[in-house]
Amino acid sequence: MLRYIVRRVLWGIALLVLASAVIFVIFYVFPSADPAKLRAGRQANPAVIASIREQLGLSDPLWEQFLRYLTQVFTPFDLFGAAEHGGTGPFNFGRSFGSNAPVKDIILDRLPATALLVAGAVFFWLLMGLPTGIISAIKRRSLLDRATMVTSLALISAPVFWLGLVALYLFASDVGKIHIFPGIGSYLEADTFWARCWSLFLPWLVLAAATAAIYARYLRSSMIDVMSEDYIRTARAKGVGEGSVIMRHGIRSAITPIVTLLGLDVGLLLAGNAILTESVFNIPGIGHEIVVAINRSNLPVIQGIVLFGAFFIVTFNLIVDIAYAYLDPRVRYR
Amino acid sequence: MRLTRLRLLLPAMLLVALVGVLSSCGDSGGGTEGGTESAGIPSDFKAPTAASDNAQQGGDLTVLNEGDIDYMDPGAAYYQVTYMVTLATQRTLMGWPPDATEPVPDLAEGQPEETDGGKTITFTIRDGIKFSPPVNREVTSADVKYAIERSLLPGVANGYTRAYLADLVGFKEAEQQLKQDKTTAPDLKGIETPDDKTLVLKLTRSSSIPVIQALSLPVSAPVPEEYAKEFDAESPSTYGEQVVFTGPYMVQNDCVDSSGKVTDQDCSGKLTGYSPGKEISIVRNPNWDGEASGDFRPAYADTITIQEGFSDPTSASEKILSGDSQLSGDFPPSPTIVKDIATGAKFAKDQMVAVPSGGNRYVALNTQEPPFDDVNVRKAVIANSDREALRNTRGGELFGPVATHFIPPLIPGFEEAGGLTGPDLDYIKDPNGDPAVAKKYMQKAGFKSGQCEGSDCDITMVGDDAPPGLKTATQFKSQLEELGFNVDFQPVLHDVMYTKFCSVPTQEPNVCPNVGWIKDFNDPQSILQVPFSGDSINPSNNSNWPQLDDPAINKAIDQAVTITDEQQRAEEWGKIDDMIMDQAPAVPWVWDNDVLVRSENVDGVANLFNGEWDLAYTSVSK
Repeated sequence: MLRYIVRRVLWGIALLVLASAVIFVIFYVFPSADPAKLRAGRQANPAVIASIREQLGLSDPLWEQFLRYLTQVFTPFDLFGAAEHGGTGPFNFGRSFGSNAPVKDIILDRLPATALLVAGAVFFWLLMGLPTGIISAIKRRSLLDRATMVTSLALISAPVFWLGLVALYLFASDVGKIHIFPGIGSYLEADTFWARCWSLFLPWLVLAAATAAIYARYLRSSMIDVMSEDYIRTARAKGVGEGSVIMRHGIRSAITPIVTLLGLDVGLLLAGNAILTESVFNIPGIGHEIVVAINRSNLPVIQGIVLFGAFFIVTFNLIVDIAYAYLDPRVRYR
Repeated sequence: MRLTRLRLLLPAMLLVALVGVLSSCGDSGGGTEGGTESAGIPSDFKAPTAASDNAQQGGDLTVLNEGDIDYMDPGAAYYQVTYMVTLATQRTLMGWPPDATEPVPDLAEGQPEETDGGKTITFTIRDGIKFSPPVNREVTSADVKYAIERSLLPGVANGYTRAYLADLVGFKEAEQQLKQDKTTAPDLKGIETPDDKTLVLKLTRSSSIPVIQALSLPVSAPVPEEYAKEFDAESPSTYGEQVVFTGPYMVQNDCVDSSGKVTDQDCSGKLTGYSPGKEISIVRNPNWDGEASGDFRPAYADTITIQEGFSDPTSASEKILSGDSQLSGDFPPSPTIVKDIATGAKFAKDQMVAVPSGGNRYVALNTQEPPFDDVNVRKAVIANSDREALRNTRGGELFGPVATHFIPPLIPGFEEAGGLTGPDLDYIKDPNGDPAVAKKYMQKAGFKSGQCEGSDCDITMVGDDAPPGLKTATQFKSQLEELGFNVDFQPVLHDVMYTKFCSVPTQEPNVCPNVGWIKDFNDPQSILQVPFSGDSINPSNNSNWPQLDDPAINKAIDQAVTITDEQQRAEEWGKIDDMIMDQAPAVPWVWDNDVLVRSENVDGVANLFNGEWDLAYTSVSK
C-alpha cells in the first residue's frame, strides 16, 4: 500500500509539471494579450515595454522561463534567474501581472471561500442525493421514484447560473421577493465563521441541487444493479432482514462508483469549477479569480490556480483509491 | 487613463421609447450640477458636483465594483476607478474638487509660479500635511521629487510619466541611468528642492500646461524615500503593498484599526485592508488635519468599503438601489435598470446620474493600407455610418451623445471644434448616415457605381468578442457591407485586440471598430496627441490606430504643445481637431458618459475629473 501511495505521489508531481507545461504552451501559442504592454500602459514606447518585459523575465527564452517557474515552485534553488525574477521557492508562484500581489497569497486568500462553498455543497448534495437514489432504487417505478427522477432531470438540465439568479431573485434579502437568505456579495460582509456559513446557505443549495440530482440517478442505477446480484439473493435466502440487506450489502457495494465521482467532483470544484456559483453570488473564490485572470492574460495567476487545481484533483483521486480499499475488501494495491 | 469602465459597459440597446423618455425629462431636482450643460446629458440625470447643504458627517459607505483597481501604488495608478480611491486617500500637487474643470492647488499652497517663458515651474508645498502611519512625518518637496523619479522604474511601470514629463531637464540622462540600475530611482536633474517646501521643475521647452496638469495625477502624490526605497528595490516594486497616504482617508494597514485609530506604533505599514479583486477597506487617516492643512475635501463618511467581484450589473444595481449606503463603482447599470429608473417604474430618478467621461469612441480605419489609404473612401465610410445605431449598441442617449469630432465635451477646444454639432463637413452631418453623400465620395475615389469593387474591397476587421463591443463591431460590419466591402471579422478578447492586432502596425487589420481614448486630464493635448500624431506611431503598443501621419497635423500638434495662453491653446487644438476630421481617419461615434447609481440614503457627489462618485464628498443621511 505504501509503495502504491509513493508511486501515485510521484506520478502526481509529474502531472503537475505537465499541467504547467500545457498552460505555458497554450498561453504563448494561442493569441493572448501581451502582459508587458498591458502593464506599460497605452502611452509607453518600445523601450519602456522592453524594459518591463525584461523585468518580468518575459524576454528570456520560453524554456528558461518555464524551468525558472518550476524551480520557483518546487525547489529552494536560485536557478535560471529565479532570485532576480520574483524570488526563489519553494512554493513561489510568482506575482500577479496585474496587482503585483504574490500569487500564493491570492490563492490562499481565495481558497477558504471555495473550500467552505464546496464543503457545504457536498454535505447538502449527499444529504439530498443519497437517500433519494436509495429510495428510488428500492421503490422502483413507484410514484416517489418517478417524481424524484423527473425532478432530478429538471435540476440537471437547469444551468447553475440560471438557478442561482432565480434563487437570488426569489429568496435573497437584498434583491429577492421574499427576504429569507443573505443576498449577493454577503460573503464579503460576513466576519465570523457562522456568518460566512449563513451567507453561503443559498449558494450551497444551488450548487448542491444539480449535483444531488446526478448522484441520485447514479446511485439509483448502481443500487438496482447491486440489488439484483446473487449475493443479495443469498443474503435474503439466509433470512437476513431487508434493512440489513440494503444497508450492509447493497449500499456498501453500490456506493463505490459514487465515491469515485465524489473524489473527482470535490477536486474539480476546489480547482475552480464552482466558477458560475461564485460569480452569481459574488463569492471571492478560486473560480471567480481564474476568470478574471484569463480575461487579463494574467499568466502567473492562471498557472498558480491550475497547479493548485491539479494538486487537488490528484490528491482527491488518491484519497478515493485509498477509500476503495476500505469499502471493498477485494481491492488490494501493490 | 485606460478604458476599463468603458470596456465594462454592458451590452444592449435601450429601447427607442426610453430614449424618448430621457429626452423629454424635466429639470433636475436638487444638488449643484457642475458644468455639464454642453455635454448632452438629459437634465434629470445630471450629476451633483457639490455636497448638499445638509450633508452629514459619519456613516459607512459601500461601493460595489465588478473589477479591481489597477494599482494601489500611486506611481502606477492609471484607471478611472483607481482615481476614485486616490482622490480620497492621496494629496497630489494639484487636485480635482468634484466640479473642477481645471486642477486646483492641493499639496501645493497655491498656483505654481511659471517663469522663464513657461520653462520653469515653482511649487510651494503646504505646511501641516503628514504621511499616514507608520511614517507619520510632515511631507517635504523631496517626497514629491522621489515620487516622480521612482515612477520611471520598470518595477513601478507608470503609464504616463514619459508622455507628459519628458520635457524635464535631465530626463534622457535619467533614462540612461535606469539602463545601468533598474531598481534605484534615477536622479532627475530638472526637479530641484532648494528647501523642504519648494519644488522647482525645469523644462527644456515651454510645455508648462501639460506638465502642471500631469502633476494633478497620482504620480505627484508624495512618497517618502527612506520608507519606500527598500520596496522599490524589489522587482517589481512592492510599495503598493505598504503605501502611505496623505489624504483624509487611508487604506487600512497594520497600524490602525477599522475606525482609523492607531493601535500599533511599531507596525510595518503592511496594508491589511486591500485584498486584490475582493475588497478595499478605507478608513480615516489619523494624521489628516483638513483645516490646518488647507484640504478642500470635507470627508463626510467614516469608512468606505469597496467590495469587488459583482459580475452581474443588474443584480448589483438592484442591490444598490434598494439597499442603504451603497454606490456603484466601475460598472454602469444594465439597460433593464436604466429603464426602470428612467420611467420611474421602480426606483427614484435621482438615484441615477450620468457624468461625461472625457472620452471618445471611434472606428479606426487603417490609412496605410488600401482601400482606406484613399481619403475619399474614408469619407464615404463616415458618411454611410449610422453613428446613432453604433452609439445605441452601448445603451442609448444616456450613455453619451453621438460624436461629431474627437475632443469630448468639457475639454478646452470642444466648442472651438464645433461643439455637439461638429464641423461643417457633409460626411459627418447626419448621425444616421447619408448614403447619397457616401456614394459621392465613393465615386470621387473612382468607384463609379458608388460601391466598392475589386480585391481591395476584401477587408479585415478585428474587434471585441463580447458585448457591447461585439455588437458595435457587428453593427459596423453591416454598415461597411452596405458600401460593397467584404469584411472578414475576427472577434478576440479586448486586450488581445489591442496588444496583438490593432496596436501593432504590422499586424493591424483594415478596421479596428472598438477603439477609443479617454482624457488623462482636462487638456486637448491628452486627447489628440497620442492617437493622431504621426510622431507617436510605435512599432508595437501603437495608439495611433489609424496610423495617421500627416505632416501638417504633426507640425500643428508639436507647436500647440507649447502654447501657454489658455484661450489660444483651446483654439489651436480645436483647429487640429478640424484638420484631423478633414483627413477622416476614423468614425467618431460617441462621447462616453459614465452612468452611476446610488442608494436613496446616499447624498452622492460625482467628480467631473474621473466620472466616478467622489468618495470624499459623498455622504450618508442617517
